[in-house]
Amino acid sequence: MDAYLLSQYVLSGLVIGLIYSLMAIGITFIYGIMKMINWSMGEFYMIGSYVQYALLATVLGWDLWYLALPLAMASVFLLGIVVQRFLLRPMYLGGLERRDEYATIITIALMVLFRNLAIVLGGPNQFSPKDYARATSLLTLPISGNRMVALVGTVVLLLLFYVLTRKTWVGRAFRGAAQNRVGIQTAGVDVLRLDMLAFGVGVALAAAAGALLAPDFLVYPENGAISTFKGFEIIVIGGLGSLMGSVVGGLLLGLIEALGSVFLSPGYKDLYGFVLLLGLLAFRPTGLFGERERTV
Amino acid sequence: MLNALRTFLLAAVAAATLAVPAFAQAPIKIGVLTPLSPPGDAAAGQFIVRGAKMAAEEINGQGGVLGGRKIELIVEDDAGTPEKGAAGLRKLVSQDHVVAVVGQFHSSVTEAVQDLAEQLKVPVFLTQASAKKLTEKHLTYTFRTHVIDPDRVTLWNKWIQQQGFKRVAILAENTDYGVGLVEETKKQFASMNVKADLKTIIFDRAVVDLTPQLLEIKNWKPDLFINVGIGTPMYLISKQAYDVGLVPATPMLISYDAPARPEYWKNLGEKGTYATFIVYYHPTMKLTPRGEAFRTRYLEQFKEQPVYGGLNAYAQVMLVADAINAAKSDKPDDIVKALLGTKFTGWNGTVAFTRGEGPYWQQWTPPMLFLQYGKPEQPFTEAKIVYPPELKTGDLMMAPKR
Repeated sequence: MDAYLLSQYVLSGLVIGLIYSLMAIGITFIYGIMKMINWSMGEFYMIGSYVQYALLATVLGWDLWYLALPLAMASVFLLGIVVQRFLLRPMYLGGLERRDEYATIITIALMVLFRNLAIVLGGPNQFSPKDYARATSLLTLPISGNRMVALVGTVVLLLLFYVLTRKTWVGRAFRGAAQNRVGIQTAGVDVLRLDMLAFGVGVALAAAAGALLAPDFLVYPENGAISTFKGFEIIVIGGLGSLMGSVVGGLLLGLIEALGSVFLSPGYKDLYGFVLLLGLLAFRPTGLFGERERTV
Repeated sequence: MLNALRTFLLAAVAAATLAVPAFAQAPIKIGVLTPLSPPGDAAAGQFIVRGAKMAAEEINGQGGVLGGRKIELIVEDDAGTPEKGAAGLRKLVSQDHVVAVVGQFHSSVTEAVQDLAEQLKVPVFLTQASAKKLTEKHLTYTFRTHVIDPDRVTLWNKWIQQQGFKRVAILAENTDYGVGLVEETKKQFASMNVKADLKTIIFDRAVVDLTPQLLEIKNWKPDLFINVGIGTPMYLISKQAYDVGLVPATPMLISYDAPARPEYWKNLGEKGTYATFIVYYHPTMKLTPRGEAFRTRYLEQFKEQPVYGGLNAYAQVMLVADAINAAKSDKPDDIVKALLGTKFTGWNGTVAFTRGEGPYWQQWTPPMLFLQYGKPEQPFTEAKIVYPPELKTGDLMMAPKR
């Protein structure tokens, strides 16, 4: 095997794996706080890409993509808050008792609703923003400027997210809620309001992924499907509820897909992640960084 | 009370009397079953619907069929998936009572639809579904007025020989269309004695990151790259092949006519330059009076050149109407008989359905041309015809080094 080609595959896998981990962090963050799976995560990714495209095509112009990105994230953050407040909050009876099936039904319904709304409002065709930057190279890998921007954007957002959860008061509250939703209420935190914020932040991360990848992966009503797919794969590999697991899981998934493409066949790229996932579940059912939940 | 009852009965009798001629003039319904949402090639479906609607308007404007009955189109979205295609056809036949269905685009969908059409005994028309096996099954109710894959492959093999390409790579989606083209190319490379190496990779149509596949192809150093994606995958391949540096340094042939559509440049920008693509219609073509009238009306209405899918769907609705008139009946079996026994005017020639050998069963084939864009945002009308030699308006241009 040509070492040059191998390095290209590995780099390409790590880059896309890290970008997908943004999606995984959104899913796992919402799960960690609210203890629910958001099945419509891909649709928030899709909405992020549409908002980004619409802002660039109509208001900002193609060069101001870096302004459109936070605006797209903010719009989806607000949408997430509205969804949580009016559609998901009734899941909790008295702030504690949770009806899990409720969240599943609501988020699957939202998935169908958002996809169809995208078709009604934007039509069924693909759109593509103009390139964010010119093609470049990352060590041995020729890479599109968009992918490079997405990579840098992902690293910046991961750092900001780390600061938010580790260095701020609200971050401490998030971590407290993730550990014990009853305990955090005894400390005077309105956990339902915290949920609203957590859901908004989680879906805004998905929107960021959608906006960053829009020029490379296009904007169309079903564009969130594959990244949701990858996001769920990553959180199972990394461990549900673990933020570190999401990043490591993303990198590992990218790497496995790359190596499988080199040594087996690039035609079955998506199969290798599932083989890893199944193998891992057999030996470590909680994933790499997940912990077995203990309840009293 | 008695008076009221009498009035009611009289009104009912009058209404029933009036309803008889109305029923006699009931419209004849034709279904348009085509992709109008993802994962299907929804843009193609929209052009198909556009052409079919223009045909219905034209027929109705000229007094309809069978001495005054109007044509009513019922449009259904198959979303490019076999299950939605089958459900759509069932609805069109059992609920809407259509007499024929046009608009089939994706071969995988058509395969499900045509088997069901055989059971439901309603003719289906393949507008842009080109897999060989669709007409090779020799089904009674399947008619195609589009190219078939072996002809497409024969043409690109001849082009490969003429250009002297020595290493040809194909990246194809895992649909009946993509897999069929790969298999056919392998077969014909042997039978036509094409002196070139061939590398083929088939990918899952749902995948969006094709970088590993494209890197492998790039490192194999082909001198021709064939893009066999339909709809979104075609754009993803084109974009990402440019990003990894495979194209435009290596010439790329796109397997169908999507670059002729207005959204091509919007989606690809300069990355779409130097692409060669296969079309079945070119604005410089001489059309039949029917095709010419359509082109003129289309230009007036939409201020752009018609796209082949629209032309073909238009011609298919027109020929169903002609078949209904020839059969003097709106029964699907009578329409099938008329389709087999009559010659029709298509958009660029006379259409006749014969039951030939292999895939040439109830099949009519339009011409094929290879076009190339030589500069960014070049209008479709200005793209050079680079193959076949007898129609050529320019040579294949190689891209300057980036």
